[in-house]
Amino acid sequence: MEAKVEGNPLITQSKWRKVAYGGMQPGYDDNYTDESFLEDMVMNANVVKRDIVKVMRDSVSISQYICVVALVVCVWTYTLGATIDETSLLLLDAGLLGSGFLVLLLTARRLSINLLSHYLLKISFFISGLYVLAPIYHTLTRSISSDSIWALTVSLLMVHLFLHDYSGSTIRPPGALKNPTLTSNISLNASIVASVLIASRLPSRLHVFAIMLFSLQVFLFAPLVMYCIKKYSFGLHLCFSSLLMTVTLVLVFTLHRPLFALLLGLLVFVTVVCPFWLIRLQEYKFEINGPWDEAKLCFDITE
Amino acid sequence: MDGQRRHRILMVSDFFYPNFGGVENHIYYLSQCLLKLGHKVVVMTHAYGNRSGVRYMTGGLKVYYIPWRPFLMQNTLPTFYGTLPILRTILIRERISLVHGHQAFSTLCHEALMHARTMGYKVVFTDHSLYGFADVGSIHMNKVLQFTLADVNQAICVSHTSKENTVLRSGLPPEKVFVIPNAVDTAMFKPAQTRLSCDEIVIVVISRLVYRKGADLLVEVIPEVCRFYPNVRFIIGGDGPKRVRIEEMREKNSLQDRVEMLGAVPHAQVRSVLISGHIFLNSSLTEAFCIAILEAASCGLLTVSTRVGGVPEVLPDDMIVLAEPRPSDMVKAIKKAIHILPKIDPQVMHLRMKSLYSWHDVARRTEVVYDRALRCPTEDLLERLSRYLTCGAWAGKIFCLVMIINFLLWKLLQLWQPSKDIEEVPDIALLHDQRETTPWDSVED
Repeated sequence: MEAKVEGNPLITQSKWRKVAYGGMQPGYDDNYTDESFLEDMVMNANVVKRDIVKVMRDSVSISQYICVVALVVCVWTYTLGATIDETSLLLLDAGLLGSGFLVLLLTARRLSINLLSHYLLKISFFISGLYVLAPIYHTLTRSISSDSIWALTVSLLMVHLFLHDYSGSTIRPPGALKNPTLTSNISLNASIVASVLIASRLPSRLHVFAIMLFSLQVFLFAPLVMYCIKKYSFGLHLCFSSLLMTVTLVLVFTLHRPLFALLLGLLVFVTVVCPFWLIRLQEYKFEINGPWDEAKLCFDITE
Repeated sequence: MDGQRRHRILMVSDFFYPNFGGVENHIYYLSQCLLKLGHKVVVMTHAYGNRSGVRYMTGGLKVYYIPWRPFLMQNTLPTFYGTLPILRTILIRERISLVHGHQAFSTLCHEALMHARTMGYKVVFTDHSLYGFADVGSIHMNKVLQFTLADVNQAICVSHTSKENTVLRSGLPPEKVFVIPNAVDTAMFKPAQTRLSCDEIVIVVISRLVYRKGADLLVEVIPEVCRFYPNVRFIIGGDGPKRVRIEEMREKNSLQDRVEMLGAVPHAQVRSVLISGHIFLNSSLTEAFCIAILEAASCGLLTVSTRVGGVPEVLPDDMIVLAEPRPSDMVKAIKKAIHILPKIDPQVMHLRMKSLYSWHDVARRTEVVYDRALRCPTEDLLERLSRYLTCGAWAGKIFCLVMIINFLLWKLLQLWQPSKDIEEVPDIALLHDQRETTPWDSVED
């Protein structure tokens, strides 16, 4: 209200204090802004400075998984077009299972017979369950038109790719600490439903069993295998991914030209364009922290 | 102070009596003290159950419970333009000169401030809470706040930390924000007549048992304290989703005779619960300004609290012991509090609180803000629109569009329901003794 009294040596103005009690501080208005205003604000405290090469290397996980899904779609297309018959599919399944096991055993820190027998038991339950349920899947979508099936499958695969957990694996090895998140569960379910839809379009029960086994093997266990390889050695991971990408591109090229162009474009986008874009956007990051933040509990709340 | 203009204020918020809480009490006490200073105060809020229409409260405080039901967390459904007709009617009937909105989380407040600005009234906003910046809810809330505060005349915050937070969230210039804290009704919160004995130390906790108020910290702290100090007892008042966890803690550590759970305590009985204790424990994780601490200090209790938000500004250092929001620090703080407890005299503390906080002081400082707001120049639509455009590349244009439509609707209402057809309320003398010096016909506005 009144102007601050300055320049008069007899009247000493008390220092402004950052307190709320005691009413209006004498000599200061209520809207007085001190030099210490916002001095406790911390900007961009938790922001990680990203390096372009590291981001590109990390994006390999995403492109690798896109190739895996593309390979699955190729196998589906060949099966639906009767290019692959059921015996070769079963051989493929067995081969994949064997190689997956081999990779898990080789990359595991501790080779234990217990773990191996645990896995074998689970796998045998899984396979026998699928074999028993194959007749149900065979006649599941008989009354639905093919167009709806293709459209639904494509959208489910989109959802699957969008929500997939690329940094880890939804199926964890026994003894893992972190629970899978909601979105990774949704993506897994979407992929399983897509597999069931495709499987239901096949001519015989053995076909259905073989393709279901193949799809579920890939969708459930491929992320786990990739995760184990990545943890074991990053160089091996990069080699494996480049091999996978070349194989996929060749296969899709022989199958369908436009799809090849789309896949190539997508891989280039993910590996090259997105890292550059991310680095450019990082400049705009503005994280504000200060005494007004809600305190974070330093302990976990266990029920 | 006496020759000042008499203001006619409309307080708007979703939060008012019959609910009890920080914002509700603030509006009520501020309105009462402003009435005593000679101003006219009208409150507008939404209907509570069957309570709809006009009610009068103590001192002639007129409350409009407009017939809108709350739909989410005590807030009315935001319809943007739905409240324009009724707000216009209230503003013209009561010959309001200034609209004062409370609480950023109240949709009714935002709508009312928007309409008031369109109709050319002066506007003041008070923010009572702290918000973050990072999660989705906060980002949207801050954008809405930016919209409302782009065109407000003055703003009030309840603590200095709250001022920093509001300035960062809304982009207001700091000179427009006044810091006027809450206060406590010291006449209602008096200490006990006889001092409690210090053989058994009683620690009181009264809060909603939710995550935000640090109920999880209580679960960790109470067993530790009970283990170190066999003569300490806890009284926990309040209810909420975390009550189950506290009861589990009580069972697991066999503290049934040392931890008493009272359930929800009605506001009228808070004092009787407080005076049965020596120490008040507040474990909230975020607070703009904690009125509970003031009530406890007014009843003569020593406070132990977490050092969050605006709490360090509330009490002088000899009346409060602060701790970081970690269980180990809080146990140390309680230990220190027990140690200095014999030196505390509740009556002295109560008298000190009377001098430190008073609602009349708050009302006088708010009056200064109102005077400043009323002195702001009146602007027309085009000048105001330029301020909205600065809110963001897309948001600015959307906000301008919203305000233009609001303006057009207002003009339409003026044609349909001209203001001369709305009957104005005469001033009825409900308080008789304090305003003999102000003759009724010299009231101007």
